[in-house]
Formats: sequence, structure tokens, C-alpha cells
Amino acid sequence: MQPDAVHPDLGALVPRGHPAEHLMALYQQADASAAAALVDLLSPQLYRFFASQMGSTNEAEDMLQEVWLRIHRVRHTYRPGEPVLPWVYAIAHRVRIDNYRKRNRISSREVGTDVLPELQVQNDQRTDLPPFDEMVATLPESQREVLVMLKVNGLSIEEIACATATTPGAVKQKAHRAYERLRSLLKSATPKQTEPKGVAQ
Amino acid sequence: MTCRDMDGVINSRSRDSALPPEASEHIGRCERCREVMRVLIEGPEIRQPSESGVRLIHGSLLRDLRPVRPLAPSSVFLAGFAISFLAVAVVGSIQLHAYGWNVLSVSAKIVVFASLALGAGALALSMARQMRPGSKYSVSPNLLPAGVLLLVAVAMMAVFHSREEKAFVSSGLRCLSSGLKYVIPGAVLTWLWLRRGAAQSPKLMGATIGGFAGLIGVTVLEVHCPNLNLYHILVWHLGVLLLSALGGLALGAAVGVVGKWRHYRSESSYRLRPAR
Repeated sequence: MQPDAVHPDLGALVPRGHPAEHLMALYQQADASAAAALVDLLSPQLYRFFASQMGSTNEAEDMLQEVWLRIHRVRHTYRPGEPVLPWVYAIAHRVRIDNYRKRNRISSREVGTDVLPELQVQNDQRTDLPPFDEMVATLPESQREVLVMLKVNGLSIEEIACATATTPGAVKQKAHRAYERLRSLLKSATPKQTEPKGVAQ
Repeated sequence: MTCRDMDGVINSRSRDSALPPEASEHIGRCERCREVMRVLIEGPEIRQPSESGVRLIHGSLLRDLRPVRPLAPSSVFLAGFAISFLAVAVVGSIQLHAYGWNVLSVSAKIVVFASLALGAGALALSMARQMRPGSKYSVSPNLLPAGVLLLVAVAMMAVFHSREEKAFVSSGLRCLSSGLKYVIPGAVLTWLWLRRGAAQSPKLMGATIGGFAGLIGVTVLEVHCPNLNLYHILVWHLGVLLLSALGGLALGAAVGVVGKWRHYRSESSYRLRPAR
């Protein structure tokens, strides 16, 4: 995957629509200010994408660096004029999967030496409904990702399907399962103190 | 409106958009949907990456900023895959002789080779899309290699019938090894086209390349092998397709592990360098 000489007709293909598309086309032409502007434009939402799923800001920072390294390495695969967000989130999706596997590998080799504190959601003194992050953390990994892309990053169903290499129907199914699970969780979390806590699935 | 209908409204609703009247009515009487909407619309607390982290990214990208030529259109790669497929299939058919072609009826030829062409076309399209992150898929690429195997198996079952065969294993092994002999050059030629792409899942790409190259082997066997026994074809001819797809999957997994190891090794210096 060696970067080659710049495409002579690229100027004619400079895209319309999202500002990131224009910046990405210029970044492919080695425009330093466009590259910096693209990082400033996309980093906050990529960071939120990772932080909402990983729950750790340090890990999200590492993953943000990782995703930009990968974007830089495969920037020639972006086609000028096409939507940039599915392309970026497809790379972010893979970074998240790799990190998730790495985390599982590490945790499978670690031996616990102390009792971990209980999650906040199980605190008996809470009367309010759990916030977004706590609710989302209870979802399976793939449903959580779809929900974060939809509601935190504002992607459409079609864009999520492209980013996760699946079909819009499969994305809708995952979103539906996530909402059903949230409904069950919220039902058990509403201030009826007599009801048992936990996932009513 | 039901809770299921509300899912579509939640999917498309942003913080600023207004609810349709039916959705508002449903929310009014369904507490569970109301609470889900509230949690999702409120969203998480707004977090920002650290300035030092973003500066580090700036420095790293700008240090190695060179112009790149965007990847060619998918049609170029599809043409390349077709040329690779036909070149290996034609060479294989010439080397092994077309005994099988001569014993097939016209309708059998149409069904068999149309299913092989359809399968190869679907896998070629999937490979061209996997080269570019964020491509649109009408069929999940994860299911496609298995789907193609099923399609070809059904086509074979429609055309061939079981017949008595004395040397089932020995003649079958000859077919298997002949087919696999053409899988390797097919896979190498295909990979030459793919190497500039950025497949996000090496395992999936490996299985797809393996499936595509496996179809080249099956095509050569269908042209060459005059054995019309259904079980011979299902086990030994389609065995080429199955083995090459599984081999590609294993090779892709190995490439993925090596790639990550190399990437993390080269990247370790990046994380420590300050931004300029």
C-alpha cells in the first residue's frame, strides 16, 4: 500500500456536502492545513464514539490516536466526492473491535486480587433513572455500537450499515433489540422500589 | 402506533426535530417509550479529547504528509478479477483437457457455469467493496462465501444425479488435488489486484479471496472431469471451494495477527514523540 503521485484531476472531483469531504480530498493532496482542520473537526466525535463505549477516557485517547494512524495509512482508499463519515467510522469500528479483543485477552490473563466496587446502577440509594452511559453499558457490544453511532454521533442507518459492513436491515434489527432491552431496563429501574433490579429479558 | 413503530421514530429523531403527532400520542400513554426517548435524546455528557492528545495527532500526521493517488474505481478491480479468473480457468482447462465439457448437455452447461459465474461475480464485487472502508453492501459480506457455496451446491443438485461409482475416493482425491492446483495461482493473481486496498477484516477478505479462487478450481474441474455422479461433484469438486475458503480464512487470520504485531511495533515510537 504505497502512496503514489497525486491524481491530476483531483481538483475537479473536490466534493460537496459535509465539510470533512472537502478537507479529506485536500488531505489526500498533502495539504497540511486541511489535515489539521480535519483532525480538529472529527476528533471530538470520534473521541465520544470511543468514550461512550469503553467507559475509560484514557482508553478513548489511545483509540483516537490509533484511528488517526490508520486513517493516515489508508487515506488513499477514500474516494473524493463520497461521504467521508462511513469511511472514517468503518476504520473506527475496526479499531474498537481490535481494542475490545485486546482488552479481553488481557483480562483473561489477569487474576483479581480484590473485590471490585459495585456498579453505580446497582446503588440502592438511587431514585433517579440511570443516565445514558450506564444504560448503554448494559447492552451487548454490537447493539451498543449501533446505538452510539445513531444517538451520539448522529449517523443515519445507511451510514452505520456502511461503517459496520452490514445491511441497513441488520442495523435496524440491532437498534430494535437495543431499544427493547433499554425498555426492560428502564421498567425495572423506574422508582417502583419493590420490583427486582436487573435485566428483564 | 406501537412500540415497534416507535423504533423508527427514535432512529431518525435528533435533539432538535419535532415528533410526529402519532408518536407524541404514543409517548403520552407509553411510559417505557417515553423514558427511552428521554435517555437517548439527553445523550451522554459531552466529552472532549485532551488538547495534548490532539496536538500529538497533528504532529504525527504532518510529519509524514505526502500526496496520495486515490484508489481506482471498483470497475477497474472487477475487470482485473475477471481477467484473473478467466486466465487461470482457461489455462487449467487447456492443460487438463475438456472431457467434462463434452459430456454435459447444453442445459447442464448453462446451469453449472451460470451458477459459477454468478458466485464469482458476487465474490468479486464483495472483494472490490472490502478494499474500501465504508462501502455499501446489499448482502452481508460475512455470509457471502457460505451463500455462494450453497448456491453452487443447489445448482449441482439440480443438474446431476447419484450414480454408481467404484473408485469414489481415489478418483475424488485426483479431482481435489487437480482443483487445488489452480486455486493457488488464482488466489495470488487476485491478491495482486487487492494489495492496494485496505480490507478492515483480513479474515473476511481471506475467506472471500479463497472462495473466489476456489471457484476457479471448480470451473476447471467442471470443464475437465467427465464424472457425472452427484456425490463425486458435491464432495470432491465443491470440496475444493470449501477448502480454499477455509484456507483463505486461516491465512487471513495469520496475516491479521502479523500485521497488528508489525503495526504496534512501528507505532510504539509514535506514541512517545511529542508534537512539533
